[in-house]
Amino acid sequence: MHSSDAVREGLLALLPRLRRLARALAGQAADADDLVQVVLERALARAGQWRPDAALDKWVFAIARNAWRDELRARGRAQHLFAPEEAGEAVADGSDVRHARQMELAQAVAMLPPDHREVVALVLVEGLSYDEAAALLEVPVGTVTSRLARARATLQAHLGNDA
Amino acid sequence: MNPIDDDTLQAYVDGQLDAAEAARVDAALAQDDALAGRVRRMRTLNTRLRAAFDPVLDEPLPERLSALLQPARPNVAPIVLAGGRGADAGRRRAPRRWLMPGAALAASVALLAAALWWHAGNGLVRMRSGGPYASGALGRALDQSLASEPDAHAPVAIGLSFRTAEGNICRTFTIRTPPARAGLACHTAAGWELPVLAPSAPAESGELRQAASSLPPAVQAAVDARLRGNVFDAQQERAARAAGWR
Repeated sequence: MHSSDAVREGLLALLPRLRRLARALAGQAADADDLVQVVLERALARAGQWRPDAALDKWVFAIARNAWRDELRARGRAQHLFAPEEAGEAVADGSDVRHARQMELAQAVAMLPPDHREVVALVLVEGLSYDEAAALLEVPVGTVTSRLARARATLQAHLGNDA
Repeated sequence: MNPIDDDTLQAYVDGQLDAAEAARVDAALAQDDALAGRVRRMRTLNTRLRAAFDPVLDEPLPERLSALLQPARPNVAPIVLAGGRGADAGRRRAPRRWLMPGAALAASVALLAAALWWHAGNGLVRMRSGGPYASGALGRALDQSLASEPDAHAPVAIGLSFRTAEGNICRTFTIRTPPARAGLACHTAAGWELPVLAPSAPAESGELRQAASSLPPAVQAAVDARLRGNVFDAQQERAARAAGWR
């Protein structure tokens, strides 16, 4: 069996989930699909590195996360599109809160700082365990849970009283 | 008993605790309304996040993405633009396959063959005694899944079930894994025979009737040709499953 064929078939089956992850990370649908295209091309190019005993979804999600980080860095160099972490958190308790509550939850996710957004996307949207997310992000499990708790607090504030 | 800390509560909501720890939280929740309220709010957030992003799963796949993954197809050749330049490999558009409006009938034969060829590679269709039959996940879904209990994450969605004039039970289905296909399967002694399989927009997750109304014309025509009487309601569908679709 050619590993590239196995990867290709696996990617096809994973494509809906990969698009969902990308939407949670990148926000806009067009940006998300651009990200997915980069991920597919990278995964196909590196198909030989995938070991069949490793879960393909985690392998591809790691590629997606790294590709998204690359994209953020590239944009960050070009223009400061992304608010630093402190600014992202200020949305939750600052004067913008009423406006923020009117936003769709997906938009609220898109405003989370990248560290928070990726744990929300991996754990709450994609359903990875804390351990799996920690391995993928190469951080301790405690870091995953603390980022998740802070992201939750921010998003909870967006949901407001009806939550 | 130790109080429940924030990390434990969050892990409880996310299903990350073992049974003993989860039971300890359950017991605390029963006695502490404030704690129960926090769990409820966290669960609401989880549910709304899924509701915000899960619909992406049912969107039609952009062709530029699925085309990158077509096995052994010449789509890797860059499209030559009018100016004679190859298209940017990173933004390559796939050729539009089998979607030409005028190509109707002759194309549908080639289209069915192509669909069968692709799904044969995925183990969803098996050729037997000259005809295509469901196998693998498709066969299992036809055997087990009920339209009255839809599963938005299942690779195959079941639509209508009904009995034909000949007395066989047939069921419509949609394969959600790309490329999305819809078809009709009829139960025979040899298994689920597939009289028709056609390209489809991915199934709406949900209602039986919606699934029926979004069937590709070829599948709808195959249903119309066989349907006698009414389609099964939830109770009849369940009874038919219990009877082995006979």
